[in-house]
Amino acid sequence: MEADIREVMRYLGAGKGDDSLFAAAQAIACEIKEVPRYTYRVFHLKGLSLPELGLALTGNTASKMLDGCEKVVLLACTLGLEFDARLRAAQARDMSKAVILDGCGSALVEQGCEEAEREIALRFPGMYLTDRFSPGYGDLPLSLQPQILQALDAQRRLGIVVSPSLLMTPAKSVTAIIGLSSVPQMARIRGCEYCSMKETCALRKGGKHCGL
Amino acid sequence: MGFDLKQDIIILDGAMGTVLQQRGLKPGGIGELLNLTDPELLKSVYRDYIQAGSQIIYANTFGANALKLSGTGHGVEEVISAAIRTAREAGAGTETKVALDVGPLGQLLEPMGTLTFERAYDLFREMMEAGAKAGADLVVIETMTDLYEAKAALLAAKEATDLPVFVTMSFEASGRTFTGCTAASMARTLEGLGADAIGLNCSLGPDLLLPILKEICANTSLPVIAKPNAGLPDPVDGHYDMDPESFAAAVLPCLEAGVTIFGGCCGTSPDYIRTLKKALEGKAPVKRPHPVGAFVCSSVTACPISGVRVIGERINPTGKKRFQQALQEQDLDYILDVAVAQEDAGADILDVNVGYPGIDEVEMLPRVVKKLQSAVSLPLQLDSTNAEALEAALRVYNGKAAVNSVNGEQEVMDRILPIVKKYGAAVVGLTLDKSGIPQSAEGRVAIARHILDAALSHGIPKEDVWIDCLTLTVSAQQDQAKETLKAVRTVREELGLQTVLGVSNISFGLPARSLVTQNFLIQAMAAGLTMPILNPNQKEMMDAVAAYKVLSGEDDQCRNYIARFADASATVTSASSTASMTLDEAIMRGLKTDASKLAQLALESSDELTLVESILIPALDKVGIGYETGKVFLPQLLSAAQAAQGVFEVIRASIAKKGGEAVKKGALAIATVQGDIHDIGKNIVKTVLENYGYEVRDLGKDVPPEAVCSAVQEHDLRLVGLSALMTTTLPAMEETVRQLHALPVPPTIMVGGAVVTAEYAAKIGADYYSRDAREAVEIAKKVFC
Repeated sequence: MEADIREVMRYLGAGKGDDSLFAAAQAIACEIKEVPRYTYRVFHLKGLSLPELGLALTGNTASKMLDGCEKVVLLACTLGLEFDARLRAAQARDMSKAVILDGCGSALVEQGCEEAEREIALRFPGMYLTDRFSPGYGDLPLSLQPQILQALDAQRRLGIVVSPSLLMTPAKSVTAIIGLSSVPQMARIRGCEYCSMKETCALRKGGKHCGL
Repeated sequence: MGFDLKQDIIILDGAMGTVLQQRGLKPGGIGELLNLTDPELLKSVYRDYIQAGSQIIYANTFGANALKLSGTGHGVEEVISAAIRTAREAGAGTETKVALDVGPLGQLLEPMGTLTFERAYDLFREMMEAGAKAGADLVVIETMTDLYEAKAALLAAKEATDLPVFVTMSFEASGRTFTGCTAASMARTLEGLGADAIGLNCSLGPDLLLPILKEICANTSLPVIAKPNAGLPDPVDGHYDMDPESFAAAVLPCLEAGVTIFGGCCGTSPDYIRTLKKALEGKAPVKRPHPVGAFVCSSVTACPISGVRVIGERINPTGKKRFQQALQEQDLDYILDVAVAQEDAGADILDVNVGYPGIDEVEMLPRVVKKLQSAVSLPLQLDSTNAEALEAALRVYNGKAAVNSVNGEQEVMDRILPIVKKYGAAVVGLTLDKSGIPQSAEGRVAIARHILDAALSHGIPKEDVWIDCLTLTVSAQQDQAKETLKAVRTVREELGLQTVLGVSNISFGLPARSLVTQNFLIQAMAAGLTMPILNPNQKEMMDAVAAYKVLSGEDDQCRNYIARFADASATVTSASSTASMTLDEAIMRGLKTDASKLAQLALESSDELTLVESILIPALDKVGIGYETGKVFLPQLLSAAQAAQGVFEVIRASIAKKGGEAVKKGALAIATVQGDIHDIGKNIVKTVLENYGYEVRDLGKDVPPEAVCSAVQEHDLRLVGLSALMTTTLPAMEETVRQLHALPVPPTIMVGGAVVTAEYAAKIGADYYSRDAREAVEIAKKVFC
């Protein structure tokens, strides 16, 4: 899998970038050997609770997003510790390259989530997927992170650990929730309102948005 | 133990968690607390495994460490003693052995995470002591993905108990663990550290683990363990895809490969163990050849000495003013730069010497080792005569290192060789003793033989003894070059040992030194030198090695040689561009090599300060303005900063040569606050500030408020930069600001990071909000005006 360079430019805050930056990002993206890996599990959903796990989701985001869903998918995706090592090695050599690499990593882990979503859709023909959302989006608490990772056995399966301050390592790791419903789902996550970065996003401060 | 570890096939148990879930336990919570709340449930599982044929059962202590138990109100010893007691009761009246089971701590060690090696060791040691006290028969360290963590646990087990220790790690189908550890690195390192059996558990089914098990078998003489999963889980319902019969059938090829200790991990149950036992009945262990061949490694780079391997010599202060200055200033980033350059130039192993008057090697050598292994993947050769420093460094080294060096003196060998043995390192023996360097090849070979015998008597295997026949300066002792070469040939051919030789000294005092050195290097390789110590940044030397490998046949189909010179043609074209470029252009375009060259030229007609003030800073400012107006993007801003860094290196070297004071525009500390473990943002700011000439004390990531305060006081700093990435760590930023304000002389504080806003900065009382690296420079300019 190769990082989507337009996305990389977006992570770098470079808009469309310029030709030389675009070419540099392409060259750096080619060097990356790591691919995103993911694991997911499907659970029953009763209201906002997952009885198999004894876990209850809370808040408006979860109730809006999962309205009418019978099942829920917990997903974790990571680019792995070897990418972290690559990023550390790059930082010791060339910070300029490192920030591009960092952007490539962000793009790749997102692409991994999209691949997982496509696989899930194939596994559940006739069911509709809600948008993917993550702890920290809207009012879905970040404190859900350890529980999601534990439910997925993510340390064994993917090598993801979460710190007491709720940061995940490897750096390029994502957890997400996707609802499954037998009726079509409208897109709900679009625009800044749902983004965890909405308070601090440089683009938003400048009156622009990233297009998602 | 009731069975012979080296002779017999041994059956372990299967999964605990899988069986508990089958018996209705919900996932989640801390499973180790069951030792206190429901020992009967655990006992029933142990009994089923014993009845199924398990000769060793793992007590339910996998995560019973102080990190995971914190906040439960229960202690490590309490949980472990209950667990071992219950397992013992289940096995009463049988020959079953009970293992203290030790899994990963749940937090990552440095450099991936923030847990120090020493803290990990202490956490494991607490478990080992409790397990031994409770009467465990052996220790099993399992499911490790970080060789460093496995090492901390193994050292703790060896130092706190006399029990046998098994170590199994979890590998992916790629042949590496999540941290990139190779099977060969794992096997060689753990055997060297004294494990009693090693192998794999978890992650995959026996079929997919087979190739990795073969690789381990080829790299160890220890018994090998396979404790695989029941195949792969279905993501939808978590069900594993191998039934007991197909699991047992897939395990048999592992026996053929030489594995002798078997069990099951996730998805297995007593039925799997029963079926496995039946399948293995009447089978005999398969004998396998003992691995031979010298080897060193880091966790991620296995380096078998199966041909010529270059040892980089540049991490050494002798005769290097700039390096000495870096040591005195504790500038570990400079030392890392020296290491990185050698790795990129093609060195295979890096020699690390930090011995210099005024430097405490016992403190410095392990610090440098930790720094280097954070960003360099090569194995290290620790170069010191100080036994205490060597032990401190070998302890924190992640892999199998080499030690440079011992010599033929008995006291030296008595002091160093036990440490080499304990940490499973290779050792370089210099062919000299109390009476100096023998003038004849025969004399040197005799000392080599003596060193080999001493090493063998300490239990160090022959392949770990490397001999340095010593290079003497040919302009001073012209007859000695051929004696050295003769000694190399004899040591290689007659003693069958690996040979090490620092080649650079040969040409001291002569013109066109590199010609003589290169010629000597080639002759030495032809005589049997396998590990030249040299400067890999000297192209002539690396070219000679590349050509030698073609002629010796090591470079299969001349692939590497061709690749080396295919790359070379590309560099020629870009180098020719310097001619018409000015220094400020080179900086603005981010061309570090060109900028350095042009700076050197500029210093011929101008002094250092003028260069900084009239060319460097204005060029960086121009790029900075471009960045602010959206014409230049972050990677380009950083390229320019790094080109400036190249110029600063030239300036520093020039000043160090003259023995003058460095150009410094003010010192500040920068830190990612406590709890925050991702630090690329902070590193970006650091890069840019440094290249404006500020001295940046990088306190690192996850830095407690107290550490920031003490750094400020110790170095009398006037500016502190703090970064936070997550809303969860903002309180730590606030607390750090509060404590800094309470200092007798509070510094100016700037804060930044993804979640920090100007309003928040004002609210917590920071003096400045820094939106990005560029603003940090503007703030520094104001503070240090």
